[in-house]
Amino acid sequence: MSFLKKVANYAQEALDAANYLTQGLAVTFDHLRRRPITVQYPYEKLIPSERYRGRIHYEFDKCIACEVCVRVCPINLPVVDWVMNKDTKKKELRNYSIDFGVCIFCGNCVEYCPTNCLSMTEEYELSTFDRHSLNYDNVALGRLPTSVTSDPSVRPLRELAYLPEGSMDPHNVDSLKPRAGKLPAEIIQGLKETDSFSEDKQELVDDSENLDTLGSD
Amino acid sequence: MSAGLDLEFSFSQVLQGLGLTPQLAHLLWLPLPMLLVLVAAVIGVLVTVWLERKISAAAQQRIGPEYAGALGILQPMADGLKLLVKEDVIPAKADGMLFTLGPVLVLVPVILSWLIVPFGQNLLISNVGVGVFLWIALSSIQPIGLLMSGYASNNKYSLLGGLRAAAQSISYEIPLALSVLAVVMMSNSLSTIDIVDQQNGAGLLSWNVWRQPVGFVIFWICVLAECERLPFDLPEAEEELVAGYQTEYAGMKFALFYLGSYINLVLSALLVSVLYLGGWGFPIPVEWMASWLGQEVDTPVIQVFTASIGISMTILKAYLLVFLAILLRWTTPRVRIDQLLDLGWKFLLPISLVNLLATAALKLVFPVAFGG
Amino acid sequence: MTIASSTELICFLLLGVGVVLGSIGVVLLENIVYSAFLLGGVFLSVAGLYLLLNASFVAAAQVLVYVGAVNVLILFAIMLVNKKEDLKVIKSLRLRRILSGGVCFGLLFLLVRVVITTNWSLPGPVAIGEAATERIGEHLFTDYLLPFELASVLLLMAMIGAIVLARKDVVYLESTPESDLKQGLIEQAQPTLLADKPTNS
Ligand code: SF4
Ligand code: SF4
Repeated sequence: MSFLKKVANYAQEALDAANYLTQGLAVTFDHLRRRPITVQYPYEKLIPSERYRGRIHYEFDKCIACEVCVRVCPINLPVVDWVMNKDTKKKELRNYSIDFGVCIFCGNCVEYCPTNCLSMTEEYELSTFDRHSLNYDNVALGRLPTSVTSDPSVRPLRELAYLPEGSMDPHNVDSLKPRAGKLPAEIIQGLKETDSFSEDKQELVDDSENLDTLGSD
Repeated sequence: MSAGLDLEFSFSQVLQGLGLTPQLAHLLWLPLPMLLVLVAAVIGVLVTVWLERKISAAAQQRIGPEYAGALGILQPMADGLKLLVKEDVIPAKADGMLFTLGPVLVLVPVILSWLIVPFGQNLLISNVGVGVFLWIALSSIQPIGLLMSGYASNNKYSLLGGLRAAAQSISYEIPLALSVLAVVMMSNSLSTIDIVDQQNGAGLLSWNVWRQPVGFVIFWICVLAECERLPFDLPEAEEELVAGYQTEYAGMKFALFYLGSYINLVLSALLVSVLYLGGWGFPIPVEWMASWLGQEVDTPVIQVFTASIGISMTILKAYLLVFLAILLRWTTPRVRIDQLLDLGWKFLLPISLVNLLATAALKLVFPVAFGG
Repeated sequence: MTIASSTELICFLLLGVGVVLGSIGVVLLENIVYSAFLLGGVFLSVAGLYLLLNASFVAAAQVLVYVGAVNVLILFAIMLVNKKEDLKVIKSLRLRRILSGGVCFGLLFLLVRVVITTNWSLPGPVAIGEAATERIGEHLFTDYLLPFELASVLLLMAMIGAIVLARKDVVYLESTPESDLKQGLIEQAQPTLLADKPTNS
C-alpha cells in the first residue's frame, strides 16, 4: 500500500512540475507580445522627467559665496573659492567648482542655496576619458544643458508614464499631445475649484507652494 | 515506395539522354543531395540563430538584431563572417592536434545524421535500413569530441565542461533510445520513411503523439539534454564554467562548435517531427485532398504539390519545436548536475521502460491502433 | 573493375590501415589519453569494415556500444584520475617486452595460419542487408536465448556491483580518534548497505 502511495505521490509531483512549467511557458509567451523597452540610445533618447536630477547648473553672478551648499552637501563637495576684499568688506568670489565624479546628485545644494543660483538640469551624458575632467569649474557649470528635444540628430522618446492615454509606442507620438493623467498643478487647480475644498487642505497647498522659501529659512 | 517524386530517376534519365552510362550518372548524382542537405543544414542554422536572437529579444522585451539587413536577418551571416576571419588561437600549453580534432569530431556526426532526415517520400539522402538507430549511434560519437576538446584545452573549466557533456549525453542517450524503440516497435521498422508512412494513415489523428504522449515528452527532454539547451546547458554553464569545453576556442574552431550545436538542435527538432508529428504529412492526407479534387495522385502537378507541401510541413513542424525550445530556454532555470542525473536515471529511465512495456502490451492487445 | 568495387577496395584498404596502425598506436603510445582516443578510432574503423560487409546494423551497434559507451567510459576514467606521475622503472623491461612481443607474434602467426588454412567458400552467402536486423532479433530470441539471458544476468550483477562500490560507505573499522566524528557523520548520512553498523567504540 505504501508503495502505491509513493507512486501516486511521485506521479502527483511530476504532474505538478509539468503544470508549473506550462505556467512558466505561458508567462514567457505572454512577454513576446509586449512592447520592447529598448531605446536605441545614440539615435533615440528618453526625455528626462521634470524632476530629473542631472548635471548641476550654476550661475556665477548670483552666488554670494555663503557656502551653504558646502555645508549641506553630504560630502562637502562644492569648492567655493573666495577672498575677503578688505576695502569693500565683502567676499569676492573667484572660483566655484563641483566634481561630478564624486557628486551623488542628491540635490541638497540646490535645495538650500539661498539665492537659487544652483539648479538641476536634465543633462546626464557626463562620461569622459579622464575622471578629472569631471571636475567642473564655474564656466563649465554655467553652460546651458543640451536638450534632448532640441537636438536634430536625436529622436526624443517619452517614457511610458508620460505617453498620451492609450498609446504604448513612444515613436511617432505627437509632441503636443498631453500625457495621460493630470499634472500636479492641474490637480491642485481642480481641487481649488471644487466646493468641498476645506481650509486645512488649502493650507497644505499653500505650504507646498511656498516650500522653496520655507526651506531657506 | 510508389508515390512521390523520384528526382534521382529523372536526373539519371536526363544524363543518360546526354549519352552517359547509368553508373556515371549515379556517380554524378551522389554528391548532389549531400551538398543540398549541407546547404540546407547551414541555412537552417542561420535561420535558427536569427530566430533564437529575435525570440529571445522579444521574450525579454528587447529588439534584438536590427541593422544587418531587414530586421537583422543578416546578423548570423555577419557573425559567421566575423568568426571566419578571426585569429585562430591555440593555447600555448594545449595539445594542438586533439584541440583541432575535437570540434571536427563534434560536428561531423551531427552532419552525417542528416542522412536519415526525410523531407518527403523520396526526399532524403539515403533510406538506410537502420534509420534512427544510425542517428542514435552517431550522436554517441559526439561526447568523444567533447572530451577531446575539453582535455586538449588544458584548462580546468574545459575539462569539467567536457566531462559534464559526456556524462550528460551518455545518461540521456538511454531513455532517448528507449522512447525511440517504442516508436520503432509500432512501425515495425527503423527506417524514418516507414515511421512517417505509418503515421500518415489518417492525417493529424494518426500521428504518434497521440499514441506515444509519454514517449514524446521523454524524447523531447532527452533531445534538449543532448543538444545542451537550457535547462540542461550544464556543460557550458556560464556562471560556473566560463564556457565549458569551448572556453579556449576562438575563430573558426569555435564556429564549428556553434554550428554543431545549432545543427543538432534543428536536426533534433526535425527528428521529433518525424518520429512523433507525422514528418512530412499534412494534417489532412494529400491523397484525400487529391481525390476530393478528382485528381490522380500520380500526375506530375500533384506530385510537385505533394513534395513542396511535404518539405514545408517538415520545416514548419521542426521550427515550431525550435520555437518551443527557445521559449523553454527563457522559462526554465538551469538544473544542477545532480538534479540532471537524477532526472535522467531515476525519472526518465524507469518511465521510458514502462512506456516501452506498455507499448508492447498495447501492440498485442490492439494490433490495429498500435501497428500489428 | 567497376567504380563501385574499386571504391570498396579503397575504403577497405583505408579502414584496414586505420585498424592496424591504430591498434599498434594504442599499445605503443606513451600517453594513455592518446591511446584511449586511438582506441575509439580503431572501433570506428571496425564499424566501417562492418559497413563494407553490408552489415549496417552491426556497424551502428558497434559505434553505439564500443565508441559511445565503452570508449567514453574509458576516457572518463582516465580523465577523472588524471594524475601525472612518473611510472616506476621496471626491472628487466627489455626481457618483458621481448616476451610479450613474442606472445603477440605467436598469436598473430596462429591467426594468419588459420586464415590461410581455412577453406573460405568464396563468394560467401549473399548479404541480406536490411533484413539483417530482423534476423539478428530472431536469432537472439530463439537459438541464442540462453546466452542472451545469461549475458543480461551478468550485466545485472555488474551493475549491482558497481552501485555497491559507488555508494562508498565501506566502514573503516580501524579509525584514529580524531576521525571518530567524521565516521559518525558518514554513518548517519547513509545507512550502510553491506556491513553491519559498528558499535561506536
Ligand atoms: S549656497 Fe548658493 S549662494 Fe551660497 S555659495 Fe553655494 S552656490 Fe553660492
Ligand atoms: S548634489 Fe548633493 S552631492 Fe552633489 S554637490 Fe550638491 S549636495 Fe553635494
